[in-house]
Amino acid sequence: MNERQQMKRQRLISVAAVIALAAGSAVAIAPASNAAPKTITLAFQGPLTGEEASVGQDELAGMKYAIKLFNAKNKGKYNIKVVEADDQGDPAQSAKVAPGIASNKKIIGLVGAAYSGATIAALPYYKQTLLPMISPSATRVSITDPAAQGGAMGVPVFHRIPPTDKVQGPSLFKLATNGVPSPKVFVVDDQSAYGVGLVDYMKPSIPAGQSAGFDSVSDKTTDWSATISKIKTAGANVVIYTGYFPQAAPFFKQLRDSGYKGILAGGDGVLSPTFVTLAPASVLEGVRLTAGTVPLAEISAKLEADFKKKMGKSSGVYAAEAIDATNVFLSCVTKGASTREAMLKCVKAYKGKSLTGATIKFDAFGDVAGGGMNGFEVKGGVITFTGPVK
Amino acid sequence: MIGNFLDQFWSLTFGGLSLGFIYILIALGYTMVYGVLRMINFANSEIFMVGTFATIIVIRDLFKFTQASEPATGLRLWLVLATALIFSMLVSGALSMLVEIVAYRRLRRMNSGVLAPLISAIGVSMVLAESVRILTDSRPVASPRAMEKKFIGQFFDAGIRIDNTIIVTSALILFAVLITFVNRTRMGKAIRAVSMNPNAARLMGINIDGVVSATFLVGGLMTGAAGFFYTLKYENTASNIGFELGIAAFTAAILGGIGNIKGAFYGGLALGLLETYASFFLGTQWKAVTVFVVLVLVLYTRPNGLFGEALTQTRA
Repeated sequence: MNERQQMKRQRLISVAAVIALAAGSAVAIAPASNAAPKTITLAFQGPLTGEEASVGQDELAGMKYAIKLFNAKNKGKYNIKVVEADDQGDPAQSAKVAPGIASNKKIIGLVGAAYSGATIAALPYYKQTLLPMISPSATRVSITDPAAQGGAMGVPVFHRIPPTDKVQGPSLFKLATNGVPSPKVFVVDDQSAYGVGLVDYMKPSIPAGQSAGFDSVSDKTTDWSATISKIKTAGANVVIYTGYFPQAAPFFKQLRDSGYKGILAGGDGVLSPTFVTLAPASVLEGVRLTAGTVPLAEISAKLEADFKKKMGKSSGVYAAEAIDATNVFLSCVTKGASTREAMLKCVKAYKGKSLTGATIKFDAFGDVAGGGMNGFEVKGGVITFTGPVK
Repeated sequence: MIGNFLDQFWSLTFGGLSLGFIYILIALGYTMVYGVLRMINFANSEIFMVGTFATIIVIRDLFKFTQASEPATGLRLWLVLATALIFSMLVSGALSMLVEIVAYRRLRRMNSGVLAPLISAIGVSMVLAESVRILTDSRPVASPRAMEKKFIGQFFDAGIRIDNTIIVTSALILFAVLITFVNRTRMGKAIRAVSMNPNAARLMGINIDGVVSATFLVGGLMTGAAGFFYTLKYENTASNIGFELGIAAFTAAILGGIGNIKGAFYGGLALGLLETYASFFLGTQWKAVTVFVVLVLVLYTRPNGLFGEALTQTRA
């Protein structure tokens, strides 16, 4: 998932920032009262309030779940604390909370940031103080791309679990056209860095003769009739939207209402539980979505049940990635890492298994090599997992 | 491209028309108030936004439609639609009157000039938008489908959809009612009198406060109806929806000649069609640019808008 820039929420954000920082310093001041367990402080950064709050809250629950399991396994040996930094998924807000996290030396590892824009805004502070980061969901390519402007900006502190939009672009095309005899694909982006980028990575994978056209539409659009006319003129039978769910739902609805019968597809920006509440179930039936994440319930029903029991709520999007990211840090803790330098060294050398059994090993730029995308489909008003995109 | 345009001409035109009629109703809210007070009521965009939520409350909470429920048919459908329309109009009308009493009336009595009410209007607009944003947790809100969006006819290549037809017909009726009200009733006459010369109107014994309240009420009713039509057509709203639609309707009012009811009508239609055609030809990203280039060109040749010079005769 990428950043959303919501200008209007700045005022509330500052209040949240103060609270987040206060929470941070409170942890810093608190002495390790019990001498026996070793106190380790980790941090989480993501949207915990505001429009995107559910994404951050779900990831934070994943992190806390991993810590619960860890504590149960290492009875009394460690005392793991979590500092919560709320960036509302907003770069401007991220730049406000990051200095506090960076200067709190007790924090030796950060799960996050959840969004790419917020990650980029926070990176200067974390790089300066060498705070190791593992993001469960920041997928923008440029953070780890040595060919991007300014080089791989995340090096050396940034790492991430999910595959990037470079993988998602072609996978989304593949999933959308899967089983369509002679696809004519029309791609619409939302003019955001995420949406335009996804189209750019998709383009090279579109075979000759399968493209019916492109359109770029502001995320403020409410009336889609011009785009719909273009789609009809082009005779497209597959429409892919690279943007976020608040726009995807009305667009798909207006397109269906105009009589379009073909396939609808979108990327991880559309994959939100709110998406299916924004249009009639009959309209969204069969919408195909891609994301790097896998729902816990798909990994194993027992895992999901245990999560629900321990955390008091169902797991959300990117729960598995948040657990994986936390596990990397925790594994390093058992190897004795108690400073940022030791933690960073350990993360760089880490090799282990993810929840799904895939190998987690970061390359020189912080990416896990060989990660694949998963497919989802809306069925009866529910987003259901359909397996990896092959 | 031209060939494609001709293929899609009628379906684009129908889409543009129904959007245009929504603009007209919001533009009436701006233009009525401007005609009487020479003031831009920036809060009108938020009155529209509240109108969209009022419709959703009726459909979702009163009639208990959900995203999974069957759309209504027959008599029940018309009951739902009529209730939603009337409720939205009343909510927006009442809110519009309230805004005038709270934010403008005292300033007007104290002869505060033009800038203070302007800031007051922007303030009210922010208060309304932020309140709804907090209430809705910044999330977009969808209206469940109360009416099946079926095609009821064919015009050349274009299907005629029922919601667009309802919007165009009802908006035309509302517009005709408004014209009759302004031109044929006592209150309409008083509104016109205050618009032409407030001091003379006061000397003739016209209750200025009453006329102003009535103007805000009528403007709010029209804007509330726009909120209903918008929700019927797009089935989505959000706390920040007012800004985009408000700017568009305001542009329509300026294009047609602000303060002029007929101007709002033609301005709204022109804008709806222009936006739709421009998006098709140049791409949606050029929509706003095209609209403002056309607006500037019109204002170059007719500084008061298309119907500007008729200001003193037909001003509301």
